[in-house]
Amino acid sequence: MKKLSVRIVVVLGALLALAAAGQAVTAQQRAQASSIGVAIDVEPPIGQDSVKFLVIGDSGTGDRAETETAAQMWRAHSVFPYDFAIMLGDNLYGSERPQDFAAKFERPYKPLLDAKVAFYAALGNHDDPNQRFYKNFGMNGKRYYTYQKKDVRFFALDSNYMDQDQQRWLDEELSKSNSKWKIAYFHHPIYSSGGRHGSEVDLRSIVEPMFIKYNLNVVFAGHEHFYERLKPQRGINYFTAGGSAKLRSGDIVGSSALTAKGFDTEQSFMVVEIDGDVLRFQTISRRGKRVDSGEIRRSGGTS
Amino acid sequence: MKKILSASIALATCFTLACGRVDSAQPRADGAPGPANATVPLAAVNNPTVNADGQPINAQGAATLEFKKRIDAYIKIHNDAEGKVPNLKKTDDPQEISDREKALGQMIMTLRANAQPGDIFAPAYQPYFVKIVQDDFKGRSAADRKAIVAELPAKMKVDINTVYPTTLPLETFPPALLRKLPDLPPELEYRIVARSLILRDVKANLIVDILRDVVPTIPS
Repeated sequence: MKKLSVRIVVVLGALLALAAAGQAVTAQQRAQASSIGVAIDVEPPIGQDSVKFLVIGDSGTGDRAETETAAQMWRAHSVFPYDFAIMLGDNLYGSERPQDFAAKFERPYKPLLDAKVAFYAALGNHDDPNQRFYKNFGMNGKRYYTYQKKDVRFFALDSNYMDQDQQRWLDEELSKSNSKWKIAYFHHPIYSSGGRHGSEVDLRSIVEPMFIKYNLNVVFAGHEHFYERLKPQRGINYFTAGGSAKLRSGDIVGSSALTAKGFDTEQSFMVVEIDGDVLRFQTISRRGKRVDSGEIRRSGGTS
Repeated sequence: MKKILSASIALATCFTLACGRVDSAQPRADGAPGPANATVPLAAVNNPTVNADGQPINAQGAATLEFKKRIDAYIKIHNDAEGKVPNLKKTDDPQEISDREKALGQMIMTLRANAQPGDIFAPAYQPYFVKIVQDDFKGRSAADRKAIVAELPAKMKVDINTVYPTTLPLETFPPALLRKLPDLPPELEYRIVARSLILRDVKANLIVDILRDVVPTIPS
């Protein structure tokens, strides 16, 4: 990704950016941009026909942090119009009464839901597995599932309970995928520099051999309440993005050899574009600052 | 039967002294194939004991078979309960999910009104499960053991035929340990709460059975 960092004032910049990216500016997006008037540091997507998505994790608190971070996601959407969102688990903290679904998901993300942004959730340790029946989480009644977006095959796993059935299913689905890009996401990071949790070594011993065998490209995880981009591990790129509402400030172990970039002082989320052989990512903070960005080429490595 | 039970307990004790393990998909006593990559204690494979009729038996196989029978009996109740409450399809109304979960849980509680701890984890075979869990923990680094225990819900009290508290997180079940325990049908899952191994009905969010004091205490 270009080092050029253009701070876009959304009121005007979003519309120009959309036009520059060849995107049709809808009346809704005009309204969205004009209603915001807050600076956000997001670059528009580059590809004309790329796969664009939002990455959020550990988001379901229903508190001010979630609401404000969700508002930034909506602002980012005006510049970077992602089509869908992946959720890395802990979609709802605490009780899961109907009013909790409203307070912890439907209200904070209402603009995105109204804009028909589809959500595809993975289950976290705070999530009742019956969330899989909730239509807005896109799980189609499954604890783990897979779906295709153009050249990209996504695998949403249930890392809370990696039983034999799920392992067999994952092996089979990975083996039969000929997609250019294979991306897995689940709650527990198998590599992490978190002081509180750290790497899920047990889970790693089960899934990593499959990831390597079938040339998985990228893994997104949550659970750790911060953002971390890890140095590629055995040819695979790992991101932890579990700070979209919860925050464990200062939890990234400073001396970790795993970290390529860490951010644990504010909530954050990611916007990602996959354009041919290139994946471009940007990580945005609760206050709208871009705290990390880069690109991954399909052959591996991050620049 | 008594002999089978005591043999099972004796073997479970013997497992502690077993000199090694083999990784193999050993056939189960019921003739069904064992789980892929299941870890089978060498003692159980090499030293079969005998039942009351003098026929050789494999203690682990016997334990698994009895467990499976009891699981099947529970699933009959679960299915019976499912037939008595409205079906759940994907919905955008969380109220439907919540209502259905409660209704199913209530129906199962009613159908199992006299359920007791050990109904599924049969007392005679509990040492088998205890052994698997404790061996798994012994094989882990101190940091790993601590990480698992740190994830467990604090000060949580559980009882059978009660709802798993919806305000508390479900602990992540260690995948390597899961591979060593007998397979469960999708309606059920193992979870660890405090030092107990529980069986949880996934759709009903119900605690179906408890095996207490299984997880070794971790020094702080």
